[in-house]
Amino acid sequence: MENEAVITMKSLCKFYEMGDQVVHALDAINLDFERNDYAAIMGPSGSGKSTLMNIIGCLDTPTSGSYELNHQSVAEMDDDELARIRNKEIGFVFQTFNLLPRLNCLRNVELPLIYAGVPPEERLQRAEEALIKVGLKERMTHKPAELSGGQIQRVAIARALINKPSIILADEPTGNLDTATSHDIMDIFGALSNAGNTIILITHEEDIARYTRRIIRLRDGKIESDNRQ
Amino acid sequence: MLLRETIIQAISSLAVNKLRSWLTIMGVAVGVFSIIAVMTALDAVDKSVESGLTSLGANTFQIQKNPATVFGSGHSRNLLANRKDITYQQALLFKKNMQSQARTIGFIIISPANQAKYANLSTNPDVTLTGGDENFSLANGFTVARGRNIAENDIRYARNTAVLGSEVAEKLFPSGENPQNRFIKVNGEVYNVVGVFEKKGAAFGQSQDNFVLIPITRYLDHINEKSSLSITIEALSRKQYQLAIDQAIGAMRLARGLSIKEKNDFEIRTNESLIDSFRDIKIAIGTGAFIISFMALLTAGVGIMNIMLVSVTERTREIGIRKSIGAPRRTILQQFLLESFFLSLVGGVIGILAGTTAGNVVAWKFNLPPIFPWIWITVSMVVCSGIGMAFGLFPAWKAANLDPVEALRPK
Repeated sequence: MENEAVITMKSLCKFYEMGDQVVHALDAINLDFERNDYAAIMGPSGSGKSTLMNIIGCLDTPTSGSYELNHQSVAEMDDDELARIRNKEIGFVFQTFNLLPRLNCLRNVELPLIYAGVPPEERLQRAEEALIKVGLKERMTHKPAELSGGQIQRVAIARALINKPSIILADEPTGNLDTATSHDIMDIFGALSNAGNTIILITHEEDIARYTRRIIRLRDGKIESDNRQ
Repeated sequence: MLLRETIIQAISSLAVNKLRSWLTIMGVAVGVFSIIAVMTALDAVDKSVESGLTSLGANTFQIQKNPATVFGSGHSRNLLANRKDITYQQALLFKKNMQSQARTIGFIIISPANQAKYANLSTNPDVTLTGGDENFSLANGFTVARGRNIAENDIRYARNTAVLGSEVAEKLFPSGENPQNRFIKVNGEVYNVVGVFEKKGAAFGQSQDNFVLIPITRYLDHINEKSSLSITIEALSRKQYQLAIDQAIGAMRLARGLSIKEKNDFEIRTNESLIDSFRDIKIAIGTGAFIISFMALLTAGVGIMNIMLVSVTERTREIGIRKSIGAPRRTILQQFLLESFFLSLVGGVIGILAGTTAGNVVAWKFNLPPIFPWIWITVSMVVCSGIGMAFGLFPAWKAANLDPVEALRPK
């Protein structure tokens, strides 16, 4: 059970054509993530970490190679199947938060449940629970503009958690936050990991990466190192 | 269930850009308004015309110089303009030739816009002075309410007798005083009132009772304003109606002295021909209104598409967010389609309400009961919804097929 793979990537490649040049954003990546992994993907800009995250998050598909998420082969899925996988299996936390500014916290958090077809009463109840879990009981009916950066990111984490995804995928989750708030957010991720969630972070900050138990370094579309600590 | 959520999302998105949404809605509303208003008004006028134009009695037709309505231009118009007036002599000749084939033959000559006076009271200068004979009332469906009709002797001796239309009588004798044997003045000429006609009501929004009838001979002797006579003929029976028309054409050609080669230089008017000629106008106006409305709706549709494309561009990030948390293409498509659908639907409803109101103001002016053109309302709703969907489809499709990675990329 401990070593069951949630994500398996085999010789995964992603090429972009830029004019007459072919850019190898990801070049033959072999990578597994196990259940309850808590990993950081690091690397300089242009190393391919955003591309890797987009593929792990099913926002994009690889040019070649295989990608299995929970034993489902994602590489050949069409747009709507990918949307369903994103909805059920993945919780996104973005650097720029990506909440809908017109909706209050509860409405933002329940959004994935709408697309999952959950009835309204249950949606609201689960959204409340998720917001309580990230410590925002008092701010549920506020809109994102009325919250601080740290609070907004907590709302985003609550939204990522709401559909009980297989993995939580965080792209520079502390990139727009000050140091103290960053550590608060990382404490939340630590708690989520302890609760058994699988978490993959993308960051270029060493002290943020140190919160995780595994650091994967990318360079020029290849894995440079993969260390567990 | 998801549809309900999508509808809520669509409406709240529209509510964010209120001014923009309303402007787009107004575009649709104007198009629908023009077609509904014109069609309602036409329907109203149509009803009025059919009751008004059947004012000729049963089995009755008229001979006049010109048709009721003139279409076309240039040569055909010039031909009509060159027609000679129908004179009293021609009319008498016609009557002589036609007498045996008709139950009654009446003559009318009309001078519009006269002022009638009695004591210190006077009417507006919009009274029709009608020169007629004893058959006027029969042919035009008037009955005498008080006193007597014009008599044969009034005609023979060109007496200055007059029978009043009920509206003129009300104006000049407001206290209900009996107008009989009172002397009124019309344009300076004095007439002895011998009777008053029963009220007939309005047609085309105009009173039919605002006239003074005097003997045609008196008219021809004393009124300088000479215009063409019209002749009203009542056939012997329904069976002989068409035959009577044919005979009347022959008799009139003879009276006008036309050679075989010449065409008729007069017109036969029947209830049917009047209604038909009005139909022509109705179709012309209706087609015009339809084309203009269609153009307006097309423009409105382009406006909807434009605004939806702007909306998709502005909300790229929102679309990206929704897609990243699992919104399928179909839902995004629905959301944007619903937005354009609502824009055109609300525009359609406003246009219908305003158009029906405007059309019914016309109906009210014509003293007609309110009209709801259900057919046009239905057509408008269908066309509107169709336009909303058709012009919203491309922007919605564009939104649904956005690449989530591109959509989420910070700008």
